[in-house]
Amino acid sequence: MAPRTYRPEALNTSKGLFVLACLLAVVAMAPIAWIVGLSLKDNKALMLGTEAVFALPYTLANYVNLIGSSQVFGWFFNSLVVAVGETVGVLVLSSLAGYAFGRLEFPFRRTLFVLVLFGLAVPEQAVIIARHQMFNWLGWHNTHLGLIVPGLTSAFGVFLMTQFFRAIPKEIDEAALLDNTPPFRLFWRVMLPLTLPAQATLGIFTFLHAWNDYWWPLISATKKEMFTLTVGIASSQTNFAQSEGLGFLSAQAVFASLPVVIVYILFQRHIVTAVSGGAVK
Amino acid sequence: MKRFLFGSVALMAAGWASLASAQTTIELQRFFGACDAEYGSVTDVSAAVGECGIITALVNKFQADNPDIKVNVTTVEWPGYDQLNAQMASGAAPDVVSMHYSAISDYQSRGLLDPVDGVLAAAGVDPAAFTDAGRGGVTKEGQMYGLPFDNWTMLFHVNLNLMKDAGLVNADGTPILPKTPDELYAQGKQFTEKTGKPYLVQILANETAAYARVLYTFLQQQNSDFFADPTAIKLNTPEAAAVVGMLKKIKDEGLTTVNMDYPAAVSGFINGDGGIAINGTWLIGDFVAQSQQEGTALANGYTVYPIPQLFAGRDATYADGHGWVLPHKERSAEQDAAIAKLFKFLADNDYHWARNGHLPAVKSVFDMPEFQNLPHRANIAKIAETGTALPAAVMRQFAIQDIIGEEVGAAVNGDKTVEDALSTAETRINELLADL
Amino acid sequence: MAESWRRSQWRNGLFALPFLVTFAAFLVFPLIWGFWLSLHKVDLFGPGRFVGFDNYVKVLRDPQFRQALLNTLIFVATTVPTLVALGLFLALALNHLTRATAFLRGLFFASSVLSVTIVTLIWRIVFIPNDGLIALVFDHLGWAQIGFLSTKGWSLFSVGVATVWWCIGLPMMLFLAALQQIPVDHYEAAALDNANRWRVLTRITLPAIRRTVLLVAIIQVVMQFQLFGQAQLMTNGGPAGSSRPLVMYIYEVGFIRWEVGRAAAASEILFLIILCAAMIQYVVATRNQEGV
Repeated sequence: MAPRTYRPEALNTSKGLFVLACLLAVVAMAPIAWIVGLSLKDNKALMLGTEAVFALPYTLANYVNLIGSSQVFGWFFNSLVVAVGETVGVLVLSSLAGYAFGRLEFPFRRTLFVLVLFGLAVPEQAVIIARHQMFNWLGWHNTHLGLIVPGLTSAFGVFLMTQFFRAIPKEIDEAALLDNTPPFRLFWRVMLPLTLPAQATLGIFTFLHAWNDYWWPLISATKKEMFTLTVGIASSQTNFAQSEGLGFLSAQAVFASLPVVIVYILFQRHIVTAVSGGAVK
Repeated sequence: MKRFLFGSVALMAAGWASLASAQTTIELQRFFGACDAEYGSVTDVSAAVGECGIITALVNKFQADNPDIKVNVTTVEWPGYDQLNAQMASGAAPDVVSMHYSAISDYQSRGLLDPVDGVLAAAGVDPAAFTDAGRGGVTKEGQMYGLPFDNWTMLFHVNLNLMKDAGLVNADGTPILPKTPDELYAQGKQFTEKTGKPYLVQILANETAAYARVLYTFLQQQNSDFFADPTAIKLNTPEAAAVVGMLKKIKDEGLTTVNMDYPAAVSGFINGDGGIAINGTWLIGDFVAQSQQEGTALANGYTVYPIPQLFAGRDATYADGHGWVLPHKERSAEQDAAIAKLFKFLADNDYHWARNGHLPAVKSVFDMPEFQNLPHRANIAKIAETGTALPAAVMRQFAIQDIIGEEVGAAVNGDKTVEDALSTAETRINELLADL
Repeated sequence: MAESWRRSQWRNGLFALPFLVTFAAFLVFPLIWGFWLSLHKVDLFGPGRFVGFDNYVKVLRDPQFRQALLNTLIFVATTVPTLVALGLFLALALNHLTRATAFLRGLFFASSVLSVTIVTLIWRIVFIPNDGLIALVFDHLGWAQIGFLSTKGWSLFSVGVATVWWCIGLPMMLFLAALQQIPVDHYEAAALDNANRWRVLTRITLPAIRRTVLLVAIIQVVMQFQLFGQAQLMTNGGPAGSSRPLVMYIYEVGFIRWEVGRAAAASEILFLIILCAAMIQYVVATRNQEGV
């Protein structure tokens, strides 16, 4: 990654702030290192005390046991389908709606936007039972669709995209609008590329949310073939796994988190590089 | 990788088999965890260890013995009731489900379960073959609503090595256990002074169940009929105040570990942080395994007893258990027959289930030499008689347990007075039950 | 926003239509259905009995509900400012792109990828006595041990620490994205004036990212009002209900007591509270500014 264009001294991060951030990073990192360490230890050794993490031997047995259950790959696949489906769906719906609310005029725009903002405040608990009965009636339980659709109602995405579309300087589409460029072409060719950082942010968080979602998949996907990874992994825990299988549990955590880490690394580049110099100045 | 390939081949083979012959399928849903990696193909039940291993091997064996029946097992996170509720609400309940005795009344009273009497009769299983505690646990309004599988209680798990240091071991090697609350304080004090460690290892943090089970136990020992009316609890009693006062005194005098949650209490006991752990039957197997290893705090020094009778009244211990219930749904005659076979198989093999520490629900297991030879089982066998559940008609036992745990915990921690905690608990529980 | 050439057209609304349809069908409709449920005495399994606003009366009279409400308000009032301030600090500290800052960004974000089960598992091991990380440190320093998860006051604090650690990724990233969008020329004048860093921050940076500060604050208020998993798994709401949040109350009433109607009533109340909190923030923050 090339360094960004010249910025005045005042903008550069001060050394003091950076050092403080480094210290915080150590604190933030410790628990993660801890859990990776635990995942590489024999469960019996951990039962005697977690200090065992700091000493040899280490083992991959927990991961082998995890992968040895052939169902894990099915759950992994379900989680992937749901997370990707939900992410794509949210990005498409939110970008379109965000563009409409942020840059266009249409009747009842304000009213509808306020209504969507209201949606931001709806806790999952307020709709989950009604939604369960509704999907029952639609026959959507134990399907990927049934797991994806609830996530598509996220008002957060629309809110975020609206904010970003609005922040783009007016000059950029003014000329195009004067030329009577059709709105969709303007959206697709000019505006959408400018929102890439927002897309990346929203994409990551939608993926994360879908990947880690627990309650809805638990009560909607009740057939084991349709379990997502979170539900499946929770179902494999023996009654008292926390004391008897700390290493195994940690391995599950690391295993389940890997795809999300990969997604983050892929998207992160875009967040930093997308808005560079020229277009937005 | 090898295992994975093997698994796929086995899966495909199973697929072909089901196409080739008209199998009867039973959907079985249970907690106890998944351990396919280790036990996926084990059919030798006696080789399996632990709740998960034994139940997995049992089902494998049943499948091997009955190729015409396919048991499709779904494992759910303990205790699995959110999922079951969702399935029942959408009319997609499985055929056979694992359920705590204490939860059966909720489902039975709502018409969500089918009685099993017919199935047991078809299988030739005599209801009298089950222990009173087991049979009582599943019997509602005169009918059995589940196959009793075990009973479990809280126990006194004893670290004999520390008890020796404290001078609390008899000449014959058995531990000296208290017979009254005063003896408990005195022995606890002696233990703490001699070893510098707390006498009891209790689960006092992030916990409600343990408080409730201990309270029920000591109320039953005082013959306090706190659920004389199953729709209204009585906790504003001298008996209840005596129990909670005792628990508080144990904490205030430093006779117990504090701030430990469940996993901390288990590993704390294993590491020799205290003399006696008050915890469940399911840990016997793990603790025995620890005691057989040299160099551990429990090495050659573990034993286990029921919670001793501390109050003049009767010897009693609060007991719950696991059963197998049939959610209400349409089933074919073949499925009913297959379930009958499965239930008979599970009842016949109850000994194996009891190997992990639970008490058998089938009477005859107590007389089996194999069972009697299991470590420490002679000490706790009397629970088959002393184990006492809440009255069968008491509903919402999980919710009641949470309320009791919260309020008793507040009293033990000193956040509330004993009287205040008990009367608040009584009011909350009775409001809950009055409003059903 | 209402320039003459930006004509109001029905056609423009088509862009919002796919979302609005989904939103109406799978959020608004269930919400209304949920309200209907809240007027009934009903469990999960069957037709209930219409009881009017009885459930609301019962919920509002329930001391456990009031305690949970207070816990939740305290929790939101402490975690949200922390998240905003810490997120902004990290974004400022890591705004200049080098290999090191990229790594640190990833690191602070890493906790967000974990599921709540794992987050609580990690923090339990930090807070628990005897084996816990903090217990080891306190032991070393000879300080008295604190039962972080089992003492009134500390338990909610501990849940808050775990929550801030878990949630800090989103605020940091949103602030970073906003900082990247501040046109460089805004800073050039400041550089000419030799303005110090504090003046640059308060006069240029903060006003430029006002919208994002508001965005982050509103999102966090909405999220933190819905605290559930961390409290349930770390403290089970204890001791004596001192860390039970509203959503845990709703869960207990609906799923353990099977009082679905009353749980629905509590959910509707929670919805109204979140709505009010978000609206107040929005109105306060946008007062004297150009419109939505």
